[in-house]
Amino acid sequence: MIYLDSAATSFLKPASVRYAVSEAMRTMSSPGRGGYESAMLAADTLLDCRLALADLFCMRDPARVVFTSSATHGLNIAIRSLVGPGDKVVISGYEHNAVWRPLHGLGADIRVARSPLFRPEDMVRAFRELLPGAKAAVCTHVSNVFGYILPVERIAALCREQGVPLIVDASQSAGSVGLDFESLGCAFAAMPGHKGLLGPQGTGVLLCRDEDVTPLFYGGTGSQSQEAVMPEFLPDRLEPGTHNVPGIAGLLAGVKWLQQRTCHAVLAHERELLRVFCERLSGADGVYLFRADDPKNQAGVVSVRLDGMDCEDVAARLAERGIAVRAGLHCAPLAHETAGTLASGTVRFSFSPFNTSREALTAAEALLALA
Amino acid sequence: MQYLLTFRSLTYAQRASRVLERAGVTGTVSRVPKAAATRGCAYCVIVAARNRDWALHLLTGAGLTPERTILRHPDGTLEVSE
Repeated sequence: MIYLDSAATSFLKPASVRYAVSEAMRTMSSPGRGGYESAMLAADTLLDCRLALADLFCMRDPARVVFTSSATHGLNIAIRSLVGPGDKVVISGYEHNAVWRPLHGLGADIRVARSPLFRPEDMVRAFRELLPGAKAAVCTHVSNVFGYILPVERIAALCREQGVPLIVDASQSAGSVGLDFESLGCAFAAMPGHKGLLGPQGTGVLLCRDEDVTPLFYGGTGSQSQEAVMPEFLPDRLEPGTHNVPGIAGLLAGVKWLQQRTCHAVLAHERELLRVFCERLSGADGVYLFRADDPKNQAGVVSVRLDGMDCEDVAARLAERGIAVRAGLHCAPLAHETAGTLASGTVRFSFSPFNTSREALTAAEALLALA
Repeated sequence: MQYLLTFRSLTYAQRASRVLERAGVTGTVSRVPKAAATRGCAYCVIVAARNRDWALHLLTGAGLTPERTILRHPDGTLEVSE
């Protein structure tokens, strides 16, 4: 199989991730529940993972690195910490349902900062117009549909000027496009562990600027257990219940692999695969590529549409040829609406550090055969 | 004699232990004895009595000031010293 759906899950992982998960299941119990060896080994693994993530995202305090079950989980915490019913919230026109639906569910007054694909100046302008009076803003770092790298640093600067707390959805950027949490000054950044960070499914991370957060779940934390209320400090406040220790051990292995390889090198590799793929398809009749004119505005994700063919049919026929891609709306109808592809959907190709140029070329050839 | 330096969470106790370890001071993460855990389960770092002042200096410098310092006598009795 040629796996080109890493924007959904990085199915291709370093061998060290599988080993770490297996070893954790063999040697670790639950942290914060006892002082015996297997509990302390689990606790050490969690702290090592917090420290590694704090290092990767330039955070001073590893206690504000919170483990979640997914980016969606983290985004729900972040949104409920900042937004109430009727509050005005500005979001980019490229947000995932993990942002749109929680806001809708809360009854927030959602204002969408729309701007054309790969036009960062227009995006900044749209945010500038809508931010006054907003209670919060949410911006994805990289569009999960188009690989568009949004100007999140400039949007964060605008939010700081206006005193509007910003939530960054780093689901598609974590592990490839750098994110300096302290410099950005955002309130939260949420990300999954199972995509660019190369950890197992069921892991996620929420970076928090301060401890004034609203828990989504309440329960035992192994701390202050005589109190009826949740501890006021992080990470305990947001981490009740038993941790996914094998998952976090795997996530730690994935992050260590990234630290050795560097996110910069991963992004360069994925962009090179994207270039190979797009150049082979460039100029082909009936093939429409959603590609940035300026490569620095796009990460290793690209959407494609074939004239006269349903995107789901294209993905199904590629699957028959052993090529795994994702078609449809990618849980991001806002992004498709903004780009004008809501009716047709697209076929998404997303590359990983473990894909090769040959695979990118093979996928392009397979697509050409369908066009 | 030993001192038990208590922290608000396991994460902080672990970080404190690592700060001490880097400075060559042995600090073992342990659960706080029930008799001294005023708000329920808690964690501490155990240091030898002779290392108390140096450990506190290191931890304060790292922004990890303990919540309480408890003296544990050889017979196991506890004495909250701060």
